[in-house]
Amino acid sequence: MASPNPLTRTSPLVHLPLILLASLFAVPLVWLLLTSLQPREQVGKIPPEWLPRQNFVTVSGKTIAVTPPTLLGSDRLLVVPDSGPEAGERLLVEPTDYVDGQVKVRTPIADRIEEARYPAKVVQNVPGRFVIVKEWFLSKYTQREARVFYVDPNTIQNKVSPVIGNYPEAIRALTASEKDKTLPLSELLKKSSFPWTKKGDRTKTITFLTYLSNTLLVALLSVIGTLCSSSLVAYGLSRIQWKGRSTLFNITLATMMVPFPVLMVPLYGVFRSLGWIGTLMPLWVPMFFGGAFNIFLLRQFFLTIPSELSDAARIDGCSEFGIFWRVILPLARPALSVVALFTFLNAWNEFLGPLIFLTEPETFTMALGLQQYHSQFGGSEWHLLMAASALLVLPIIVLFFFAQKTFIQGISTTGMGGR
Amino acid sequence: MTGRYTGAWRAPPAARALLGALALAFGLLSCSPSESKQAPRRITYWEKWTGFEGEAMDAVIDDFNAKEVAHAKQDLNYAPIEVEKVTISNVEQKLLIAIAGGSPPDLAGNYSFYVAAYADGGALTDLGPMLSKAGFDRSAYIDHYMKLGEYRGKTWALPIAPASVALLTNKRLFREAGLDPEKPPVTIEELDAYAAKLTKWEVTLPSGEKKVESGYLPDVPASQKRLIQAGFLPGEPGWWSYGWGYFFGGSLVAGQDQITAADPRNIQAFNWVASYSKNLGIGVTKRFRSGFGNFASPQNAFLSGKVAMVLQGVWMHNFIEKYAPGLQWGAAAFPYPAGHPELANTTSADADVLVIPKDSAHPQEAFEFIKYVTSQPVLEKLCLGQQKFTPLKNVSDEFFQVHPNPYIRLFRELGMSKNAFSIPQTGIWNEYDRELGNAVDLIQNLTETPNVALSDVQTKMQTALDRSQRILARRNAK
Amino acid sequence: MSSLEATNRRNGLLFCLPWLIGLTVFLIFPLCAAFYYSLCDYSVLLPPVFIGFDNYVDLVKDPLFWKSLYNTAYYAAGSVLLGFVVSLTLALLLNSKVKGLGMYRTLFFLPSLMPVVAGSILWLWMYNGQSGIINTGLHHLGITGPAWLSDPAWAKPAIMLMAVWGAGNAMVIYLAGLQDVPTSLYEAALIDGAGFFQRLFNVTIPMISPVIYFNVVLSIIAGCQAFTQAFIMTGSSGAPERSTLFYVLNLYNVGFQDLRMGYASAMAWVLFIIILVLTFAATKLSKRWVTYDR
Repeated sequence: MASPNPLTRTSPLVHLPLILLASLFAVPLVWLLLTSLQPREQVGKIPPEWLPRQNFVTVSGKTIAVTPPTLLGSDRLLVVPDSGPEAGERLLVEPTDYVDGQVKVRTPIADRIEEARYPAKVVQNVPGRFVIVKEWFLSKYTQREARVFYVDPNTIQNKVSPVIGNYPEAIRALTASEKDKTLPLSELLKKSSFPWTKKGDRTKTITFLTYLSNTLLVALLSVIGTLCSSSLVAYGLSRIQWKGRSTLFNITLATMMVPFPVLMVPLYGVFRSLGWIGTLMPLWVPMFFGGAFNIFLLRQFFLTIPSELSDAARIDGCSEFGIFWRVILPLARPALSVVALFTFLNAWNEFLGPLIFLTEPETFTMALGLQQYHSQFGGSEWHLLMAASALLVLPIIVLFFFAQKTFIQGISTTGMGGR
Repeated sequence: MTGRYTGAWRAPPAARALLGALALAFGLLSCSPSESKQAPRRITYWEKWTGFEGEAMDAVIDDFNAKEVAHAKQDLNYAPIEVEKVTISNVEQKLLIAIAGGSPPDLAGNYSFYVAAYADGGALTDLGPMLSKAGFDRSAYIDHYMKLGEYRGKTWALPIAPASVALLTNKRLFREAGLDPEKPPVTIEELDAYAAKLTKWEVTLPSGEKKVESGYLPDVPASQKRLIQAGFLPGEPGWWSYGWGYFFGGSLVAGQDQITAADPRNIQAFNWVASYSKNLGIGVTKRFRSGFGNFASPQNAFLSGKVAMVLQGVWMHNFIEKYAPGLQWGAAAFPYPAGHPELANTTSADADVLVIPKDSAHPQEAFEFIKYVTSQPVLEKLCLGQQKFTPLKNVSDEFFQVHPNPYIRLFRELGMSKNAFSIPQTGIWNEYDRELGNAVDLIQNLTETPNVALSDVQTKMQTALDRSQRILARRNAK
Repeated sequence: MSSLEATNRRNGLLFCLPWLIGLTVFLIFPLCAAFYYSLCDYSVLLPPVFIGFDNYVDLVKDPLFWKSLYNTAYYAAGSVLLGFVVSLTLALLLNSKVKGLGMYRTLFFLPSLMPVVAGSILWLWMYNGQSGIINTGLHHLGITGPAWLSDPAWAKPAIMLMAVWGAGNAMVIYLAGLQDVPTSLYEAALIDGAGFFQRLFNVTIPMISPVIYFNVVLSIIAGCQAFTQAFIMTGSSGAPERSTLFYVLNLYNVGFQDLRMGYASAMAWVLFIIILVLTFAATKLSKRWVTYDR
């Protein structure tokens, strides 16, 4: 058996439950990734499929992705009328509708149908066992009409093929302006409105980059603010002896129990009187005034630094701030990076704050932008929702692989009460 | 009056002539047409629609901005108004948060049923003084829609895009079930009979063979049948579930201070709703419904032919064109209970409205835009684009001629019917709506009887309304 | 001496100045303001009208308040308990010097980094009644899955399950705690002939009890704040049949949808007091069984 018995050798059997649990934990992430790469026809299939697959046909030497085939059922004729409302179009008609070189064309007008005959040429005899497929368009904002093919079902190849294009399509879908969605992606992104863009600039639009830059701005300012303020305060609470220090520290500890929801109503009032509602300020300015948990964490770390170091610096004529800046901060780098990492993560993931304090899409963060997109188009377009969610998750995963050690150590220390 | 269009606005001919003369004089004074000297007056407009409704508004805004620029070219001292549209989802929530937060837009589009709550909360500007100054003619509007913007004796909003709902039918499925597609049900009882005929199951026989049968098949156990087509589901899409009582002659409020959720006719209505859950089975309905796609998709229950009849709005035509072209559909007034022809032509008739938030930075400019939008030609352009009818009594002939929806006249007549109802104007609608939504949940899941669920709503909401009245009285006393 | 004291006091205050300001402006003032608002009719747009304890009286009579309180207690208790069991089990499994520890740890830990918004959308998709992966998986095991988020009885467990998926965070903490337990204790226990469960309950758990205490308190506080999952997965009304109307969701509705900020403030204060009491109770309890000496 495994633990709690680190003395015995590991039984290889422990891998069994571990592999089972690990795969259970991995399923959602794998599902997220795979469905984000599926063509929209495949998403929502019953039963669901894992690997992204698409149909292809080869037309005049080119392989073209097509929509799922529908069976024709009966023999038809493909004709092209010479005149009439459908002149030049390719029409698939019943053989009985084509008599003496003329085709019967039905035009729906309001709730009735008008019939007329026009001269037409036959292009192809389509046997009933053939299927109809349409050219598969990645983007629903494509202007061009999809080409239709009538092919032998045996010529359709079904291949595993990830639709990377869901990602640009998701970015497109996150764009605010309906008109701009048809633009090429690079031009679309060039029109992005940024936090520093003049408000009400009609040449700009809200895109994925707007949300990204808002989120990054808030996250970076929060990190800077937290690092500056919390380390100062932690220093004041750990390395200077003064009356009232322990009182302040106890109050600080107590405030860790006041969750944001308790404060959100009056905080909304505070920010309202400051004129900050609808701006990013409520999300980062408070970070410049310290946070209980980070102060607590840094204080615990500062306490472990031997006091001889500060004393030596003091004898050398260093001011209190000099000691903090030149002696303590460089030594506290591991703790500071933990604080920075978690502040960044919190800012990235935060939802309730942005929901209440931000009003216009121009200032939305990624999390809020994703929720808005979901509330508008939820229930369908799961492939795009998954791609958009992946866009929110991927930076965090990348960050994790770069700073894995800091993550694990940080969580271990914070979770163990900063020991 | 010049032109065929009158709309709701009277510009005195004298004033018009004067304006024209002034414009001409300025035109003569300024020999070369140069850019306006005045910086444009920018106003922010919050819009709730994306998609085709949003595009229709875009076109109107572009026209307005162009008109303003042209005006400024004529009159160099005129600062043109420039409307900037921002699309906001969940606008009814975001707008309130923004107004309360002191950073509202100058102008906003909202749903008519939030007018009362916003007005009670002090979140809107009273349009009355501006309207009377501008020569507004209230009688140009269809009365029912105009009333949606009026509350406690003041005008808080002007309707721009009205809607009404009707019973939409899938004619192909009617034919398949042996029903006459040109004869939609007239009474609720007929609706029920049709619905049963239009309900189809895939039944697994003891031999393992599968076969399609219609009706409710009460004798076949649930494990041996799978619902593949429903005739009618009261919960699909369920957007007007709060209002089923109105179709039976009930109502939700009486006057300003009485809740009537437990009105016997409401209970009758919800007993009818529950009968569908009983006939089909709750688990069956849930599983069947979870297979529907998003509303705006080809997998929509009605568009994909999974449900043969739905209560739906005037805009549905656009979705049919887009996602199910070729669907043979019909529309008719929603049926009334047999023996109550006085309840014929009942419809839910709400509207999109324009409001000026409290503390709007540019109320005058915002009002200029409202004035522009609510003139008849512009409203017709907007409502044509949004595939609705206009809230005005006068309609141009072209409007009906070019309108793509073959049933547009029906929807408009329903909107003008004496049985058109809208969400009650009460400041507690948000709570009432949540409460009713929960009651509908309980009733459809057969967890509670309509009597119990609605009596519960009645008690809770009467308390809430009394509380809200108390608060208002206290505020007014201050 | 006294001059040094004075300098230290000045320096200490200077270093703590940002926090003193932050504490006042963003914590103490809002907390007091919330209490004042809770005694008022307050819609933000109009000046508050003092009404005494009416809001609290209404609160006690409000079935939604009790419902949301119950939902939150159910969810918090369930997710804390489930989370504790799962994360401790994972940590115990990983603590056996298993090969590929880093890989397993990464796999278990990654989900806990998932932003709640993205996680909620993902799980909403997985819980889908017909094409969702969860019920399909259960179907392969011969189980007919419940309707999860549209079934009042299963909606809360569904959200709990999603929370358990994020248990990797706690697992890492417990793992670190476990690795700090001196092996000599196990040696002694082995000599005494203690079995697996005896060692678990008499050595391991007491030794890491401070860590458990700390994390349980934090996760109770987090559980009380459940909001985003329900807001995204089941909507702000807490459907179905209000089974996911959590306390904070209710507070948000009352405050920011109905603009009844006074009532919302009363709710906020009640939440504050509940958390205070819970933390206090946990601390009292911990005195009885948390072992700090080693």
